[in-house]
Amino acid sequence: MAKSVAQINEKIKQGKVVVVTAEEFTLMAQHTSIEVLADEVDVVTTATFGPMCSSSAVINFGHWSPGIRMEEITLNGVSAYEGLAAVDTIIGATAESKFDPTYGGANVIEDLIAGKDVRLVARGKGTDCYPTKEIDTWINKDTINEFYLFNPRNSYQNYAAATNSTNKIRNTYMGILLPRCSNITYSTSGELSPLLNDPYLRTIGLGTRIFLGGTEGYVVWNGTQYNTTRERNEHGIPLGGGATLAVIGDAKKMSTDYIRSAYYEKYGISMFVGIGIPIPVLDVEMARHLAISNRQIDTMILDYGIEGHPSVGRTTYAELQSGKVTLPDGKEVKSAPLSSLSMAREIAKLLQEWIEEGSFFLTEAVHMFPQDSFVKTMVSREEGTR
Amino acid sequence: MKKRYALRFSPTLVEQPLVSKLVRTYDVDINILNADVASGRGGKLIVELSGTQEALSGSVAWLLDSGILVSEMFKELTFQEEGCINCGACTAVCSSRALSMDPQWKLVYDPALCVVCSLCVQACPMQLFEVSNEREA
Repeated sequence: MAKSVAQINEKIKQGKVVVVTAEEFTLMAQHTSIEVLADEVDVVTTATFGPMCSSSAVINFGHWSPGIRMEEITLNGVSAYEGLAAVDTIIGATAESKFDPTYGGANVIEDLIAGKDVRLVARGKGTDCYPTKEIDTWINKDTINEFYLFNPRNSYQNYAAATNSTNKIRNTYMGILLPRCSNITYSTSGELSPLLNDPYLRTIGLGTRIFLGGTEGYVVWNGTQYNTTRERNEHGIPLGGGATLAVIGDAKKMSTDYIRSAYYEKYGISMFVGIGIPIPVLDVEMARHLAISNRQIDTMILDYGIEGHPSVGRTTYAELQSGKVTLPDGKEVKSAPLSSLSMAREIAKLLQEWIEEGSFFLTEAVHMFPQDSFVKTMVSREEGTR
Repeated sequence: MKKRYALRFSPTLVEQPLVSKLVRTYDVDINILNADVASGRGGKLIVELSGTQEALSGSVAWLLDSGILVSEMFKELTFQEEGCINCGACTAVCSSRALSMDPQWKLVYDPALCVVCSLCVQACPMQLFEVSNEREA
């Protein structure tokens, strides 16, 4: 029988809710019928813990006395955006320090979450309402007002695996790719990954409450580069980057266990973000999506050695997670993950506990995301300076 | 006993068959773990010598006499395990299988298998690996 989110929340309140992780659900589906599972299980928790470059934090520093309208803002030497009123800023995870290429916005965010002091330097024009022209001080998460994560693109639905056919080593955001297709890297948690368990985003939309960085957060928009036109396999799984999410959450309550800065050699800074999404088992159709297994999730293998990243083949997460992938030419190649499956499991388990103990309730989305969105590339024009 | 050494050659020494001379003169087994040697340019070998204490110190003395700079590798790779998030990026480049994922997807580091290729130093997004210093032999 079909259930509603309100009915599931009532069960959470009564302590009767049945929650399992997506991996457990997939395992159960091997010997229990989908109809029975749809009836018996109320919520399935999904999670991922991977490097998500399109992440940022919004900060309000509080006013200086006498006031300053901040420009040229840096936090530990990392530039933050100056175009948001007097003392608001947004700092992007991938922004790099002027002094140390291995330190960036993600490190600033991580340091603030850890409670560390961060050096704030800013200049101002000096106006009647904001006369101060320069400040150089220290802040931490207790001295500032708002400090929330706002990540424009997280939780990629699927992502192509990467290899490198050239004779040179490639340092990429997909890790170090050895020459002559000697390794393959991949970066999703497979059958545990949030948007692979709800491939058409039937239950996830604006306002969906999620686990973000160790506390609760929210889905606030579709992520950037949101793509619903990617070719799908027979299970509805897009064969590469498809849907994405924009998410928000109170960074003051987050933990550096679930938000970690990262540095990729000759690529730059990124940030590991821990995301967990509860998916209500509304009916048999949702149960069928949630029963997806790594064998049924395909992704393309792209050649990162060549401009345009042409495809060299197709694989499944079952094969990727086995540690060996056979390429179409018969070559057996070592495969390795870039996102942490053990951390994703920890997050899915934690979210399960929160729901079971009644401290986390599900939400119904107030707006669903587009079904006809594709990704454009930049148009290059002559006389581009005009 | 087994010890690892870094041997640095000048361009002229590259032309000499030092490794085979060493084996014939002293009762040591030589395992070449890493080699970067080119004619006319000199080079560096990372070797593991096994044999008795006497054979090893004799070998080192002989190598030094031949004009090779010898330093002992006293710590190979250092790994700050507590910062590890078990992402697995390092395992992508570890051909010796010193770094691998266990069935629970936690990283396992087996120093005995490490050949100090140092690719993991660059591969780790948490920067937890370092190739340690050598000390003069």
